[in-house]
Amino acid sequence: MSLCMKIRKVYRKLMIIKIIFTIFIGFSGGLSVGAGYVAFLTVLGIIPRLTQLTKTMKMIQMYEWGVVLGAVVGTLVMFQDIHLHISPYVLILFGLLGGSFVGMMTAALTEVLNVWPILAKRIGVDDKIVILLMALVFGKIFGSLFHWIYFVDQ
Amino acid sequence: MLEKTVYIRLRNRVLVRPRERIYIKDIAQIIANEALHEKIDQLQLYQISDQDRNIIIIDAMQVIAEIAKLDSTIQVQLLGPSQTIVEVVFKKKKYSFTLFVLAWLLLFFGSMLTIMNFHEDVSMQAVHQRIYRIITGKSVEKPLFFQIPYSIGLGLGMIIFFNHVFKKRLNEEPSPLEVEMFNYQQDLDQYVIMHENKESISKINDH
Repeated sequence: MSLCMKIRKVYRKLMIIKIIFTIFIGFSGGLSVGAGYVAFLTVLGIIPRLTQLTKTMKMIQMYEWGVVLGAVVGTLVMFQDIHLHISPYVLILFGLLGGSFVGMMTAALTEVLNVWPILAKRIGVDDKIVILLMALVFGKIFGSLFHWIYFVDQ
Repeated sequence: MLEKTVYIRLRNRVLVRPRERIYIKDIAQIIANEALHEKIDQLQLYQISDQDRNIIIIDAMQVIAEIAKLDSTIQVQLLGPSQTIVEVVFKKKKYSFTLFVLAWLLLFFGSMLTIMNFHEDVSMQAVHQRIYRIITGKSVEKPLFFQIPYSIGLGLGMIIFFNHVFKKRLNEEPSPLEVEMFNYQQDLDQYVIMHENKESISKINDH
């Protein structure tokens, strides 16, 4: 009898260790992904750019919280498979905001790669660089629309 | 003593035509008393010949040496940059329109292809379908209600970042692009200052 009890005790202990270990792995994984995400955002400098445009340097901490909460809520919603049953028109605003964020990220990325000054110098159009910029913008819009409306069906 | 002092500030970058003579007044701002000013203005620093390439660096030491030759009791006070980049403009820079159109199309189709690759790479279609289901509770194959605003927002975000709406700026600050162009030009200038200026590099004399 006592042997059976002992085995059960050891088993329970092992279970606890297993759970703690799983929590630990999940936590450390989340920590490194979160740190990486923030580091990436910092390198791209989107938040400073936004504060510069809106002249709200003092609210930068609020923006930080916005990013953190957005990431956490997005993760939770994705894992829990929640259904909200709201009208699809909400998605128009949501898509516009999400798209703007991705657009700013891609713009910042070309910035980091230092493509523009070199290209403008090579073909000697320092003053027409805005038109070249528009090529990139329209390319992105058109490519994205083409992808969602036509390309996914092929 | 005071009337023998000359204040000189070299300009950063000067454009000249080929075979021109470069005088001090072309490359520097000068403050001196009038008589001295006129004499210094006439000092020739350099004669551009056909052998010269399109960038010549004139060092402050050259300017001071030239003034000392005129009158060695003049005290020269140098302010600002210690060299001027003289760029010889052979003919007016003309860009070719076809090249421009080609570059435009390159950027257009390039950015189109990269955004499509990006969407496929991160399985954005699946994420959009999932978001549509989370919000509305219905499953659809093509959640265009989300995707069309997303596509427009994509372009909008880029414009916001570069602070340009078709030549009209959103506010008076320089855009990151202009800052980037400026930095690039500064780096180029720094490079030619170091490499074209014979005075700035001293070599070891091997026997």
